[in-house]
Amino acid sequence: MKLQRVRIEQVRQFRQPLELPQLTAGLNLFYGPNESGKSTLVQAIRSAFFERHRSNGAEHLRPWGDSAAAPSIEIHFTSQRQDWQLHKSFLATKRCDLQVAGQAFSGEEAEDKLADLLGFQYASRGASQDRHWGIPGLLWVEQGSGQDIEAAAQHAGDHLQAALHSMLGEVASSGGDDLIQTVAAQRSNLLTPTGKPRGEYATLATRKAELSAGLATLEQRIGQYQAQVDRLGELRQQHQRDEHQQPWLAARQQYEEAQRRHRQVEQWQQEQQQEQQALNNHTQTLGLLREQQSQARSQVDKLEQRHQEYIRAQESLASLSAQSPQIEARLQHAQSAYSRALEKVALARQQQQHGQLADSVSQLERQIAGLSDRLAKAREHQETLEQTRQVQRQDAIDPDTLANLRQCQRQLDEASIRSNAIATRLRYHLEGNQTFTLEDTLLRGTGETLLLEETRLVIPGVGELQITPGGEDLGRLQRQLARLTDERNRQLHALAVASLAEGEQKAERQAERLRTIKTREQLLTSVAPEGIDALRAHQQTEYIRLEQLRARLAALPVASATALPLDQAETQQAEREQQLADAEQQHQRHQQSLAMATQRTQAAQQEWQQLQRELEDPKRQQLQHTLAQNIRSAEEDSSRLQAAIDLRQTRIDEARPDLLQQDMVRFKTSAEQLERAHQSRALELARLQSALETLGGEGLEELRDQQTANLERVERRYQELRRRAEALDLLLGLLQDKRQELTRRLQAPLQKHLHHYLRMLFPQASIEVDDRLIPGQMTRSGRQGQETGEVRALSFGAREQMGLISRLAYADLLQEAGRPTLIILDDTLVHSDVTRLAKMKRILFDASQRHQILLFTCHPDQWQDLGVQPRDLEAIKSQALSEVAVQSPHSTRSPTTMP
Amino acid sequence: MPRFLHTADWQMGRTYSRFEPDDAAALAEARFTAIERLAQLARDERCDAVLVAGDVFDTQTVPDRTIRRVFNAMSGYQGPWVLLPGNHDAALAESVWTRALRLDAVADNVHLALVPGVIELPDQGMAVLAAPLTQRHTYEDLTAAFADWMTRPDLLRVGLAHGSVQGILPDTVDATNPIAADRAERARLDYLALGDWHGSKRINARTWYSGTPEPERFRNNEAGYALIVDLAGPGAEPEVSQHPVGQYPWYQLQKTLRVSSDVDQLLEELAAIPAPAVLDIRLQGDIDLHGETRLQYGLSVAEARHRSVQCDRTGLSLQPTDDDVAALQADGYLGEVITLLRERQQQGDDPQARDALAILTGLLRDRQVGAPPESAEEASS
Repeated sequence: MKLQRVRIEQVRQFRQPLELPQLTAGLNLFYGPNESGKSTLVQAIRSAFFERHRSNGAEHLRPWGDSAAAPSIEIHFTSQRQDWQLHKSFLATKRCDLQVAGQAFSGEEAEDKLADLLGFQYASRGASQDRHWGIPGLLWVEQGSGQDIEAAAQHAGDHLQAALHSMLGEVASSGGDDLIQTVAAQRSNLLTPTGKPRGEYATLATRKAELSAGLATLEQRIGQYQAQVDRLGELRQQHQRDEHQQPWLAARQQYEEAQRRHRQVEQWQQEQQQEQQALNNHTQTLGLLREQQSQARSQVDKLEQRHQEYIRAQESLASLSAQSPQIEARLQHAQSAYSRALEKVALARQQQQHGQLADSVSQLERQIAGLSDRLAKAREHQETLEQTRQVQRQDAIDPDTLANLRQCQRQLDEASIRSNAIATRLRYHLEGNQTFTLEDTLLRGTGETLLLEETRLVIPGVGELQITPGGEDLGRLQRQLARLTDERNRQLHALAVASLAEGEQKAERQAERLRTIKTREQLLTSVAPEGIDALRAHQQTEYIRLEQLRARLAALPVASATALPLDQAETQQAEREQQLADAEQQHQRHQQSLAMATQRTQAAQQEWQQLQRELEDPKRQQLQHTLAQNIRSAEEDSSRLQAAIDLRQTRIDEARPDLLQQDMVRFKTSAEQLERAHQSRALELARLQSALETLGGEGLEELRDQQTANLERVERRYQELRRRAEALDLLLGLLQDKRQELTRRLQAPLQKHLHHYLRMLFPQASIEVDDRLIPGQMTRSGRQGQETGEVRALSFGAREQMGLISRLAYADLLQEAGRPTLIILDDTLVHSDVTRLAKMKRILFDASQRHQILLFTCHPDQWQDLGVQPRDLEAIKSQALSEVAVQSPHSTRSPTTMP
Repeated sequence: MPRFLHTADWQMGRTYSRFEPDDAAALAEARFTAIERLAQLARDERCDAVLVAGDVFDTQTVPDRTIRRVFNAMSGYQGPWVLLPGNHDAALAESVWTRALRLDAVADNVHLALVPGVIELPDQGMAVLAAPLTQRHTYEDLTAAFADWMTRPDLLRVGLAHGSVQGILPDTVDATNPIAADRAERARLDYLALGDWHGSKRINARTWYSGTPEPERFRNNEAGYALIVDLAGPGAEPEVSQHPVGQYPWYQLQKTLRVSSDVDQLLEELAAIPAPAVLDIRLQGDIDLHGETRLQYGLSVAEARHRSVQCDRTGLSLQPTDDDVAALQADGYLGEVITLLRERQQQGDDPQARDALAILTGLLRDRQVGAPPESAEEASS
């Protein structure tokens, strides 16, 4: 495919028509600064192909602010040896016209023809997107997307494949991929991607297991049912047999037989016991008899013994009797000694009484004398006391009044002294016998007097002196003195004394008297505490007693001189009494011994004689004989019984009563057990019968058959699905294998072309292509030898280079397949360094030998050595403008036919 | 002189696991109809009695409803019926018989031969010597006692037993429930009515298996009949006639397909089978796509005609001819896959390859007729 001419009008900044004329077959290099319209130009070409003319997706073509714009694009190109003329206008005027080989198409028909030719799709609605672009999307590289090969290659995938299939027609398969999809879909109904059952297939496996389990349960229940039926039959047979035979009766008979035998043995045992008892009795009797016999034998010995005892008793009696006179004498002697002692004691007691009485008389006499003395003294004291009291009554003085007097006197004295102190002292010393008279007092010699009041001193011879003592208190003092003097005088009078001294004397006398009274009172009390009368009466009483005592004394006989003192006599008497008691006791004991000896002697004699009589009795002789006979007979009986017992014991032992008892238990239990078993069998029969009746109605076997049928059906279906799944799995695997093989064969030419370019960049390098025909792993010689890695992992610049290489390789492939190729590069390889860029230029130049390449750049200097004339877009624009000036500005509607 | 109907092996309550549920139900229902037909036949033919020689019931634990329905179905004939327990319905301590009696389902004219012994039918001039099975299996000949059983001289002696006649039937070595082949002679029987063998079979002049009245197996023996026996008098040879009773004959076809005409032959045979029947077809060999299409067609026709048609094609490989493959327009790698699968089939028994090939060719054919693959898948599943 080769573009020959492109003309645009009313597209973005190109409001005026712009034409790219005379495009060459190989490289076409356009340059211009940024915003010079390179990308707009590329966009316009893309829109001309990709966007439906009716689509609103062409909005981006509208010049700014021009709502009435009708962007139009006119492209002339050759492809498949034919000339194509495409005229497309959008927005205001929606139109599409295509002329090819003399045929004209318009509208969608024209567009579909283009899509078919170039290998792309239209968007069903809205703007065309990269997924619709197909092969042109791969070969027409927009600014800045040169490195992104994967998405573009994927979108072009089907078209690439189709192109390749047409190339390798014999191996490709029409509709093979659809078939694979169908098979995969069918397989996925049955299997998961990993090959596990799913959906109905999986459900069936579960259902199968469930049914098998259910069936097993049913089988088991049927087995149980049948076993129970068999059991029922068996039980019924046994029951009937037992009902007929009644085996417990036989057991019961055996039991009764055992019981009978056991009773017999028991009887034997009883007899045995009785005989044993009899034997015991016999043995006992025999023992008694033998004892009697031996007793009889011992009595003969006893007789002699008793005789000896008798003799000994006699002897001891005689000896005792011999002692009797001596003991009697001793007793009499003791008795007389005691009598004498008693007499002596009486005498001594009389003596002592006499002495005592005499003592009492004299003592009483002394007492009476004392009493008389005390009575005399008491009378004296009484008398003195009465005299003193008499005086006292007459000459008593009140001590309180005296004390007041004393007080008054002292105050008077004090007042006098004070008056003297303040009184005018008149000391005088008179010579010779000179005198003077003070008031009425005649004074002489030396002296002193105190003047308390106006005093008149008359000195004889001289005259009279009137002295008036001074001082203010003198008058008061004078009055006090006068009052005190009055008081004292009154009290003196009350006391009936002349002066205080007399009062004091009188008081002293009174005290003396009071002392005397007290002393006499105490003395009287000590002599006659209960009074003189009582003392006198006491004296009288003593007198009477004395008279009585004297009378008693006179009555007593006069004591003899031989009398012993009483205590001595009493001691003697006690000794004698003791001796007498001893003697009496001895005597009594002797009498007792004698009596006992006598009795013993008599008893011994009696016993001896009695025994002698008995032994000599003929009846006893007879008894002895009988006894011997009885013993013999008892001995015989015993041995006979013993033999019988032994015999019976053997019989009892042989009969084994313990075993018989066990037999009884055994037979009895057996009978009971048999009967019980019979009964329980009847119960079980009934139970089983009813259980089976219930179970029978459930239709277990039919249910089992139905379950089996279900299971078989499920199994059949499962097997069908399994076979189908396996077949589908196999088929899918085979188809995919073959498909992959085919892909690998398709990949080969792409790889060849890739290597062609790649080795211009990296010598010896190789690259692999995956199923989707996208370059994958690359191997090249690096600094550390061979290195392998994904293209994706390369640097941006290298990815861009690889992207371009891949696109060129695709273009080669497509060209081989007879498909149109056009390569448009908008500002590509901007990230390549100088070295790489140089290599890439070689590559581009190489590719341009086969394909038309439109290269737009803003760096014309970088591309100078491409061997083509770079064309300045600005120059083209200005040229276009000049053309417009010539042409009508709206003549774009008229299609221009290229020759 | 007595004339009676001899039947056996009703196998009531039998279920058919191999069929689709509706077919199975219809076949089970057919067994009840068979009893009604027997009753009708006995009435039409003026039989004096009906003897059923065992296996009236298929299992002991059939539902109560089945029991009642069986006895109800017999009500069409009012003469005496003598029912013998066989190995499937042995007279055990608890059995389908005791249940039937408990249900009060047994009519007065029905005699259950639950214990070995003689059932006298004086009005009919016969004494039935019955040897019921009282265990599921026995290894002794229960009919041996017949010789010792005395009967009234004026009554004909008819034996009724269930088991395998020794030395006559195939696969009867060590068989359970044995019966001596000369029992009729040795026990002075006028006739010995036997059950257990599902085909109608004459052992000797006086000993017959009646077979089951409604077939339920694919063994192509004379199943689906009842016997009517005429006894002219004591010692006289019985006159036995076969009467068809069954509704659905069971056929089994086993074919090996090699060439195209084999398919034609098979289809002709299929068409010749009287309808309605139960068919079991087992195919082996190879078939090309064309033959496959014809076979499919023929089978679908047969399925509509018959009660049940089952076709086992596991032994049959689909071998598309080169023309077939060409006709499928399987180009490119699809053709390669077909070739591969064909090779695998030819190399040996490879069911997976066979199925895969069938699926693939099916899909390709569907594609040819224009049906979208999705709808074809829906139709097939």
